[in-house]
Amino acid sequence: MKIKILLTALMAWSLTAQAAPQKIEFWTFSMKPKFTPYFETLVHNYEAANPGVKIEWIDFPWDVIQSKLVTRIVAGTPPALVNLNVPWADEFARDGLLTPVDALLADARPRYLASTLEDLTFNGRTYGFPMYSNVAVITYNKDLFKAAGLTHAPRSMDEELDYARRIAASTGQAGLCPALSKIDGLFMQQGLAVIANGKAVFNSPRHVAFIQKLADTYKAGGLLKDSLFAEDNFPAAIAAYKGGRLGMLLAPPTAVPRIESDAKDIYAVTDVAPAPLGPTGIADGGWLVHFAVPRGVDPALLPAIGKFARYLTDDDNQLTFAKQASVYPAMAHAANDPYFTTLPQHATPAQKAVSAGAVSMPHSHTLYVAGIDDYDELKRYLVKAVEAGVTGKQDIKQALDEAVAIWNKKLARQSKGHGA
Amino acid sequence: MKLSRRSLAAWLFLTPALILLAVFSFWPVGYGSYLAFTDYSLIRPTSWVGLDNFRYIFDNDMFVGGLKNSLLFLLMVPFVQIGALSLAVLVNNKLPGIRYFRAAFYVPVVTTVSVVGIMWGFMFHEQGALNYVMMSLQLVHAPIGWLSNDTLALFSIMFVTLWRGLGWYMVMYLAALQAVPADMQEAAILDGANRWQRFWKITVPMLRPTIMVCTILSVLAALKAYQEVDVLTQGGPMNSTFTALYYAYDQGLKHLKLPRALAASFIVSLFCVSIALLCLRYIRPKHR
Repeated sequence: MKIKILLTALMAWSLTAQAAPQKIEFWTFSMKPKFTPYFETLVHNYEAANPGVKIEWIDFPWDVIQSKLVTRIVAGTPPALVNLNVPWADEFARDGLLTPVDALLADARPRYLASTLEDLTFNGRTYGFPMYSNVAVITYNKDLFKAAGLTHAPRSMDEELDYARRIAASTGQAGLCPALSKIDGLFMQQGLAVIANGKAVFNSPRHVAFIQKLADTYKAGGLLKDSLFAEDNFPAAIAAYKGGRLGMLLAPPTAVPRIESDAKDIYAVTDVAPAPLGPTGIADGGWLVHFAVPRGVDPALLPAIGKFARYLTDDDNQLTFAKQASVYPAMAHAANDPYFTTLPQHATPAQKAVSAGAVSMPHSHTLYVAGIDDYDELKRYLVKAVEAGVTGKQDIKQALDEAVAIWNKKLARQSKGHGA
Repeated sequence: MKLSRRSLAAWLFLTPALILLAVFSFWPVGYGSYLAFTDYSLIRPTSWVGLDNFRYIFDNDMFVGGLKNSLLFLLMVPFVQIGALSLAVLVNNKLPGIRYFRAAFYVPVVTTVSVVGIMWGFMFHEQGALNYVMMSLQLVHAPIGWLSNDTLALFSIMFVTLWRGLGWYMVMYLAALQAVPADMQEAAILDGANRWQRFWKITVPMLRPTIMVCTILSVLAALKAYQEVDVLTQGGPMNSTFTALYYAYDQGLKHLKLPRALAASFIVSLFCVSIALLCLRYIRPKHR
């Protein structure tokens, strides 16, 4: 009798164990509340199509997701998938905190845009499923352009700066607000190296000449002074544009609907064009968000994680999300959807922005200097030097030389440390 | 040593609070101080590195400049104390609507730092309220970069810190003023002392313990300033508004470089303790 009871209990336990759902936890950043219905529908549909799989979605603010992730990896309970951007993924991959996903991409690999997978490939291994990307477009105030005698959107960085000076001279308003805290990316987009052979090289005559152009424009009142060197100058830039105090706004297409809702009078005189590519052929303001697989996930769960990640980032879902969020799919088929490529007659500025961004998307790359410890701290010295040079507080060459010296001292120490 | 029954009772009553202090204050402070001498990382085994983290931060302009700025913040202390005491004397009068003024001066204390950041960000903006008023009054002809000029930005932040702290110390002084015995004032009036003499000879000496506490608290608050930096300038322009503790926050919480953050915090703590001891030595009431 006792044996019977034991066997029955064992069978019941094994049945329960078999029926226990596979749990997949995935993290996004800054999606709630706007995209709650989108993700809830995704989860519901996937669970319905895959009985036995339980999906848990957690959304964090973007500025805490990294520390949460590290904590969970160290605790041995990482999520199955996590939203990261490219520089974060590079740092996590260098620290061995991510699992390469080459095998999990399986036959879906050719369906992603090649440029997005290139951005996520470090040391020959791919570390994520591209989810969406974005790029800057140039939104401009036609009234300020007309007052400055400008007839078309700028086609190069030089032209942008020239326009900015002309707008300032004719109207007294600033022409441009480049994100100078991201000067490293701007250098790279302009074909000016930040590092070569393990040494900082941003004090060459070409670098100095480039900063000189910015300084001339600043002196002429062409650059918006508000938050010009702030870590995130977008809020100041869009506020100035909406207030009619800025001629050109370099920002993702998502900015245009915000102008429409907050400043109808300015929207009425707004036009949009693709942002000029740099001499490198790289678009301005490119960035990519993807799903990475952290280190320490249960290896038995990897096939299920791969399947879910491919579902999360498939053509249909990326297209739906991209339309809702005014971003661009990282899947080739979805990226070529007529929504992005066909401009309706009498298109509104918001529609033009979507189309202008789509023109630049194949040229979009996340620009950053990879593989350096304490990069953010080093970058602060670079930004400080650029700020000193642009605002005329210090000779440009001298400021850049000083920053290069600090970089090289620290880089030499790092290479010694790595070599030891 | 044998504890008396009275001491034993005191220790028994103190024990729960001491346990909480030990777990939530002494242990974290002690362990954090130890970690400042290690290469602690969440993802690798920890090893002892001696003074490496301290060498690193003292070789770093942002920390050294931040430490200087933290010391510069101390300039604010006399202004806070004199301002708060003056306000307390003013609102200690029985005038119609005085409660409104007391509440109004206290509002900045209970305003969250993010709201303070938005509000003062707008006030200090080049197109903001302060420049508008000054230009309307023809006091200046071009907007002043309160937060974008590297010479001015730190002082602008110090002003905001002062504005936030004034109400808090005012309330402490107000409570102390109301505890000054009225009969002493009356006796002095009978002896022919004028208002100024009564203030200097009776009120100020009676307030001395409060002055000491408020001074120490404001010195510590000045040395530990970082929230206002975070919401107003994030250390810019040209890293000119870094404070020592903002550097610790930036390294530890933004970049997860915990040993450096702990080393910076350790140095800030040393300054806090030293300056607090100096205050205790020189401001402590003579009868204690």
